[in-house]
Amino acid sequence: MSTPTLASANMSFFQKIIFGDHAGSEAGAWSDGLFMMITWFSIVCFVILMGLMVFWVIKYRRRPGVPAQPSPNHNIHLEILWTVVPSASMLVMFVLGVRGYAMKMVAPDAAMELKVDAWKWAWKVTYPNGAISPEVKFLSFKNNMAALEAGSTEPWMETKGLEYPVFYVPENTAVSLRMNSQDVIHSFWIPEFRTKMDVIPNRYTGYAFHTPKLRDSDMVLDTSSMMQIPGRDMWIFCAEYCGDEHSRMAATLRIVPQKTYDAKIKEWGTPKDPIVLGKSLFNTMCKICHSADGTPSTGPTWASGNGFGFGYEAALANGSSAMRDDNYIRESILDPNAKIVTGYVPSMPSFQGQLNEDEIHGLIMYMQSLSDRNPNAGQTGKENQQADDSAGSDG
Amino acid sequence: MASSDHTHHDGESYFDGPPGILAKVWQWMSTVDHKKIGVMYLVAVLFMFFLGGVSALAVRYELLDPVRTVETINEAGEIIQYTSGQRLAGLTNIMGAQNANEVYNRIFTLHGAIMVFMFIIPSIPASLGNFFLPIMLGAKDVAFPRLNLLSWYIYVIGCLFGVFSILLGGVDTGWTFYTPYSTTTDADHWRVILMILAAFILGFSSILTGMNFVVTVHKLRAPGMGWFDMPLFIWGIYATAVIQVLATPVIGITLLLLVFERVMNIGIFDPSMGGDPVLYQHFFWFYSHPVVYVMILPGMGIISEIIAVHSRKHIFGYRAIAFSSLGIAGVSFLVWGHHIFTAMGELAAVLFSGLTFLVAIPTAIKVFNWIATLYKGSIALNTPMLYALIFLFTFSIGGLTGLPLATLATDLHLHDTYYVVAHFHYTMMGGTVMAFMGGLHHWWPKMFGKMYSEKGAMTGTILVFIGFNLTFFTQFFLGTQGMPRRYANYVDEFQTLHIISSAGSLVLLLGFLVHLGTFIVSLIAGDKAPPNPWGGLTLEWETESPPIEHNFHHEPVVTHGPYDYETTVPPHWDPKDFPLPKNPSSH
Repeated sequence: MSTPTLASANMSFFQKIIFGDHAGSEAGAWSDGLFMMITWFSIVCFVILMGLMVFWVIKYRRRPGVPAQPSPNHNIHLEILWTVVPSASMLVMFVLGVRGYAMKMVAPDAAMELKVDAWKWAWKVTYPNGAISPEVKFLSFKNNMAALEAGSTEPWMETKGLEYPVFYVPENTAVSLRMNSQDVIHSFWIPEFRTKMDVIPNRYTGYAFHTPKLRDSDMVLDTSSMMQIPGRDMWIFCAEYCGDEHSRMAATLRIVPQKTYDAKIKEWGTPKDPIVLGKSLFNTMCKICHSADGTPSTGPTWASGNGFGFGYEAALANGSSAMRDDNYIRESILDPNAKIVTGYVPSMPSFQGQLNEDEIHGLIMYMQSLSDRNPNAGQTGKENQQADDSAGSDG
Repeated sequence: MASSDHTHHDGESYFDGPPGILAKVWQWMSTVDHKKIGVMYLVAVLFMFFLGGVSALAVRYELLDPVRTVETINEAGEIIQYTSGQRLAGLTNIMGAQNANEVYNRIFTLHGAIMVFMFIIPSIPASLGNFFLPIMLGAKDVAFPRLNLLSWYIYVIGCLFGVFSILLGGVDTGWTFYTPYSTTTDADHWRVILMILAAFILGFSSILTGMNFVVTVHKLRAPGMGWFDMPLFIWGIYATAVIQVLATPVIGITLLLLVFERVMNIGIFDPSMGGDPVLYQHFFWFYSHPVVYVMILPGMGIISEIIAVHSRKHIFGYRAIAFSSLGIAGVSFLVWGHHIFTAMGELAAVLFSGLTFLVAIPTAIKVFNWIATLYKGSIALNTPMLYALIFLFTFSIGGLTGLPLATLATDLHLHDTYYVVAHFHYTMMGGTVMAFMGGLHHWWPKMFGKMYSEKGAMTGTILVFIGFNLTFFTQFFLGTQGMPRRYANYVDEFQTLHIISSAGSLVLLLGFLVHLGTFIVSLIAGDKAPPNPWGGLTLEWETESPPIEHNFHHEPVVTHGPYDYETTVPPHWDPKDFPLPKNPSSH
């Protein structure tokens, strides 16, 4: 990546007001510099225009009996001047804009490739070794910890908010994204890298960024060990309107040292207890619409009781009912609109091809662990021919 | 007069009707008089502005605080969780929505759809344009008066479809109806189709009005009025009408395809049926970008009139302004791609970025010309002029903040954020609405024959200016700092700016209420307006206030340019009141 020429190492006070904080990447800092350049150009133009306007309005205000003074009503030299100067300025902006665009879009050859999948309303990142991150983070978890450590115990009030998945990337590394949506159009925006691209069904889009080096002060809370570790968190927002929970379709990008990253994805890549796998998938992918504790949400809860949960009959919108057994769950994941529970609308996308066999099994096992019933217990000849055999082939 | 119908005589104002309320209503509902139709449009359009404004206030109300889920201990010592900040949650059941966020999504969709399709597109051309285009040309009416009435009825039917869809619960597609979301959301409900049909029907009204105006300008100019003797308001309306006729059919076809896809499951845009979702965005913006200029060009025309009349100067660079209107209309067809930089290939993005800068140049030239017109003038700082100056202020901000959006590198960050929201409100509201308000105050005495209280109007104007800037200037910073558009919930650090923005929207409301009050008082108790209160030279000032049924007693013959303030004493004025300059320039 080329050296930044416009970005200043120290942010001006004005720039801090505009962007809040430093850009997280060189390309981002470069485009901030370009933004500041355009802004200063605009401020100068604006002050000249408004200055003249106000000055003339005051100087030539109407006085009774005093006519307007004659002046030419066009001047070809002036008009050429004020056509050429803006045109030339805009040509400069255009060229610099294309250059900055290339910096944000073009990935170096050695870039680490991440697969990004989107659906209503969650993000999934698949790492080069096939692992996905099971970690989640509360909206403002760090603040709570600080408050608790400061000894604020009684009465306490904790902002919980929603949990968002945490995606890990190593520091000082080129990363390129290959993105695809399962349903409607989303947009993967990392504000600190100053770039976004739409995530479109049936098509790959993507962009690249170079993660920054960590500063000494960059520390984050690792929720799996509850320890402060070196790292830096950045927001990921969905920027293309996608429906009810659009404004909660967020995630965290966590920049960590290479060795932390390597250890994390190695751990996630190794086979684990299906219930643990299912629970982590639930936390990162399903929780935006389904609850595990009976809380009403966009989709039916997974907790058992009140006609919900594994092993309980589901009352369907078409008037019939169905037993929530393993094949029912499998069908609901791969072909969600086949059976709609009464009181809900069809809004879940299909996860056909998104989840492999082990992951579907993990989800079923986790759901089963939440219930006191098991309709599959004691069965011998299972009617699993109704499940779609082509689905979820192990990758 | 060559002709006069049986109920009207020379000298009677256009709104003197037969006695009896029913007869009056029938006379208005069946009128082919462009002035009555213009007033009917004005009433309808302002009503839609009110509806759109109410939904905007609801949006600002919801955004007063982020949604927080808090865990705490209640008095009984149990740990409880509750969610605060879902201020519109009370509407969930009324609107038949699933949750509080969906209520918010429906309300911002209503705001956008109403303001764009039902308010701002018809606002100036259909109301002030209808009223003044024939008079300023010296004509008795538009070329096709019956078609003109038909387009009003089509407009009302379109609005009814929209309102009906709202009463059934509203839609949550966003005013842009992006696929595949719009083809899949609320799949079992007809309201989405109703709303799409509303936009489809409104398109016909727009096409008919545009066609009518094009023919009127070509065929019905008064004797002596060449193309370059036309007031610049006419040039603005003319360029607008050309865009309306050429671009609107595209959105009609696109929306129809959308309906086909929803109803008959024909896969045009939905990839799960083999369609291409980005194709929809190209179709949609191929219309909706030129329409941005349908919204602003008539406003620019009004500003040209106001600045010239109230500073008593020939407009600077008349031809440059006229040609830049046509230039903008032409180039506007080539820049639609800048709405979808984040969904297109690299080459297309670079091309559209370049073309977008091209459309900025004629706009900049117009601003320079308006400011240059003030030089050595005799500037009356009344309400219309104040609105014109506010327009120059806010529209310049709107234009200049568009530069980082046309620049590819910076647009990748700013696209779909509050920065974009702020930018287009500065152009649409800071541009078109300010010009509309200025034009309304400028022509109010002519339209209704009554003067308004200058004090009341000035108070309203200043409140609108303060409220507007409080509401929208803050949103630039929200956008650059990372707040996406169309978010019902947001992260805590944006709250302060959102509160300032919401407070601004209340000031804005207050300003418009003051204006409403001023206008109502004027209608009831205003002084009778003279025929030419501002000393204007365009033809509408030669006839009475309000104009007679056929506009002029005798067909006017144009002997001077619309802005020849240096050589012509305005009609109905004594030379003492508007003295001419001693040494008129040769131009």
